[in-house]
Amino acid sequence: MNIRDNPVLREKLAAEYALGTLRGGARRRFETWLRGDAALRAAVAAWQGRVAPLAELGSAVPAPARAWDGIERRLGFAAAPSRPAARAPWWRFWQFDGARPWAGIAFGAIAAALVLAVLLFARAPGMIDAGLPQQVAALSDAQAHTALVVSADARRNRLEVRVARDLRVPDDRTLQLWAIDRAGKPRSLGILPDNRRADLALDARAIGPDVALLAISLEPKGGSPDPNGPTGPVLYKGAWTTL
Amino acid sequence: MTGPAVHKDIDESEQLRRLLGAVALGDRGAFRTLYDASSARLYGCALRVLRQEALAEEALQDAFVAIWHAASTYQPHLAAPATWMTTIVRNKALDVRRRQQASVESDGEQYADEMSMDSLAMMQEAASGPQEHMQMSRDAQALARCLETLAGRQRQAICMAYLYDLSHTEVAAQLDAPLGTVKTWIRRGLERLRACLTTQEAA
Repeated sequence: MNIRDNPVLREKLAAEYALGTLRGGARRRFETWLRGDAALRAAVAAWQGRVAPLAELGSAVPAPARAWDGIERRLGFAAAPSRPAARAPWWRFWQFDGARPWAGIAFGAIAAALVLAVLLFARAPGMIDAGLPQQVAALSDAQAHTALVVSADARRNRLEVRVARDLRVPDDRTLQLWAIDRAGKPRSLGILPDNRRADLALDARAIGPDVALLAISLEPKGGSPDPNGPTGPVLYKGAWTTL
Repeated sequence: MTGPAVHKDIDESEQLRRLLGAVALGDRGAFRTLYDASSARLYGCALRVLRQEALAEEALQDAFVAIWHAASTYQPHLAAPATWMTTIVRNKALDVRRRQQASVESDGEQYADEMSMDSLAMMQEAASGPQEHMQMSRDAQALARCLETLAGRQRQAICMAYLYDLSHTEVAAQLDAPLGTVKTWIRRGLERLRACLTTQEAA
């Protein structure tokens, strides 16, 4: 049977496939058509988008408190506080789950030290003319933990990014750096090829006086598909400060 | 729909999106915040499918374990975060239900289906309360408004088929209606939903 020329039937089958009422042989036959028919796949995707919110209809009911404990246990989170030393060397104290409050202080201190080092460097006699870092930003997450430090080296025309804490970036994602101007408009400064440090070309726009903030977003591999701004969540941001 | 409600909804969706992004990076604190913000909605969904607290709790745990591992595959342009997470919990609840059915039937007993009209009524009434609306994605709010425009039997057949993953024959048996009639209810109901949703998108 050829359904290519039967738009009414195509739509009906796509809808029932998404709803789940298309069964047995009819479903298997439909799936073989799907493989060679992009328009049919698009029709199914549209129908899945229409019916999926059906599961959201109805009241919220608070889950029993013990449900969370089971999730932590199954993900292996719950074992951590009892044997912190076994999970991280003592000097990486900020990784102990029991030492959570320290994490913020530690990252804050590292960031402050980095900014201070950059400041001292820049202020050292004879260094200013050499054009050492003139602008820096410490980027923090929503809990104000600093995760990265970015500094501009105008002499080498480089933008240096240092990661102050371990970031686990999924294989199919990448971190992208943005300059946000005073009007709130983002401009891409490049993607971070590795999660420890990055040395990016310094775009003259980045150093412009209208840049207020730098931000990092999580994007698909290769960077944001939208040239005008991030498509993924903005995870870290911080003020772009001129020294 | 009033202005502030729309803003709150967008903020909430944005908040969930950010949390999912952080979870994708392995942030356990964000995972806990995500759980606090969404577990009641997801548990409600699991309870509608399974009707038993212990089973719904199992489905909720399965769903959050899956969310932790799959957060990096979430694609914001395809579905609102609430819809994405609810789809996961529905699928986990259906898996639990199938396991349950299989184990009961292997004991030689007939599986007594716990499907109930209460769950369906809960789904259908969701369209009425503004408080409930605040908890849903914008897509779900639009869907709830469009479901209101369907005839009662059409709405019931569609909700039942999706919530419990039923075939036409199973829906017919549950509603005690002829198979052909049920097929027509579902087909016409879906056509009408599409027309209504398309109009809403344009508005």
